[in-house]
Amino acid sequence: MNPRVNRRSMGGLIALLFAAIAGCVAGGAYDGGVDVGYGVDFYDAGGYEYGGWGPGYGVGPPRRGFDRGRADGRGAPHSAYRPASPSRSMPSLPGRSRGR
Amino acid sequence: MPSRSAGHDGLLRRSSVGALWSLGVLWGIATMATAAAAATFVLPPLVQPASGEHHEGKVIWADLVTPDVAGAKRFYGQLLGWTFNDIHTGTGDYSVALLDGRPAGGLFQRAMRPGEQRQPAWLTFISVRDVGAAQRHILAQGGKVLSPPRSYPDRGRQAVFADPQGAVFAVLQSSSGDPEDVLAAPGEWIWSSVITRDPDTDAAFYQNVFGYEVFEIPSTDGSTHVLLSTEDYARASLNALPGDTARRHPHWLNFVRVNSATDTAARVEALGGRVLVKPFLDRHGGLVAVVADPAGAPFGLLEWTEADSKEGAK
Repeated sequence: MNPRVNRRSMGGLIALLFAAIAGCVAGGAYDGGVDVGYGVDFYDAGGYEYGGWGPGYGVGPPRRGFDRGRADGRGAPHSAYRPASPSRSMPSLPGRSRGR
Repeated sequence: MPSRSAGHDGLLRRSSVGALWSLGVLWGIATMATAAAAATFVLPPLVQPASGEHHEGKVIWADLVTPDVAGAKRFYGQLLGWTFNDIHTGTGDYSVALLDGRPAGGLFQRAMRPGEQRQPAWLTFISVRDVGAAQRHILAQGGKVLSPPRSYPDRGRQAVFADPQGAVFAVLQSSSGDPEDVLAAPGEWIWSSVITRDPDTDAAFYQNVFGYEVFEIPSTDGSTHVLLSTEDYARASLNALPGDTARRHPHWLNFVRVNSATDTAARVEALGGRVLVKPFLDRHGGLVAVVADPAGAPFGLLEWTEADSKEGAK
């Protein structure tokens, strides 16, 4: 076996392993590497579009005392979730201000 | 006299020993680099002094991941009056946004790779008592781990997940407790919504993970609107993606309380952001709007008065 070939092979192996280790150190959590930084190091998928929003598209919280309407404890037809009891009033945001 | 073959074997052994030694050194360097990078990332406590309160299911924090923290600081500082405390880390810059000295959110710098079809976004953090238990529930309900649980000195333990429809959120087990349940001040986060393809099944996911009470909200647009609640407080809503859902991505959207959505939306544009949904009247009688910062991260504006939180208001 040629000693130069051996040295070259070992050198290549070391370089390969060094690259692998460096990749693990530098990689972010979402890229499959070891997470050594802040765990929220990612971008979202994008594609946010808001066409179709407008009057009738309620997105905010209901105010305190909001009428639950036809609530019968069954939720939407075939709802996957367990709806709150009909006796429960619609929750809202806290009313107390800070320091009061 | 040693044979030529024996000489080669000796050389090979010496090379092997050298290679192993080099590997050991490299491994040590990598381990130290890992520890150093993690150790430098010290986040401030969520609540000071520690509250001792815990509100499972409450949205307690938001982090912006952006390629331009400096630009984000200018924008949010001028728009909402936030000030910033910078934390330089081994892996990127992080800045804590403050409103009147209280932590309001975090800004994390991350370079955008060329050609990357992604967008900056605000990441929503939900309070949990035990991140490990939350992860088990999330996986059992069809969610996915995006960043496994890890601890940060003073902050607590957190992890990032995607719900079964792909909306990304985080959970946080705050070591200083959760912020108290008070009405958010103008300029603070006040509300969160999951904009999703199927609010019904997504509501079941969040209910099974966080123990929410779920209320169906009567709507006039024919789509499903659901409210998530704990401790008799509204925590978030789930709303159906309107229109062509195939081209739209489920996501969490956080809203800042503002005195005037119209004025704030105009200010967003003046500061280089965009108005994605013009202010419109919401179910509570105030205006809401959706805007994006100059880097494209969307967030909502919500008008809300103290009277809106009181029984029999309006």
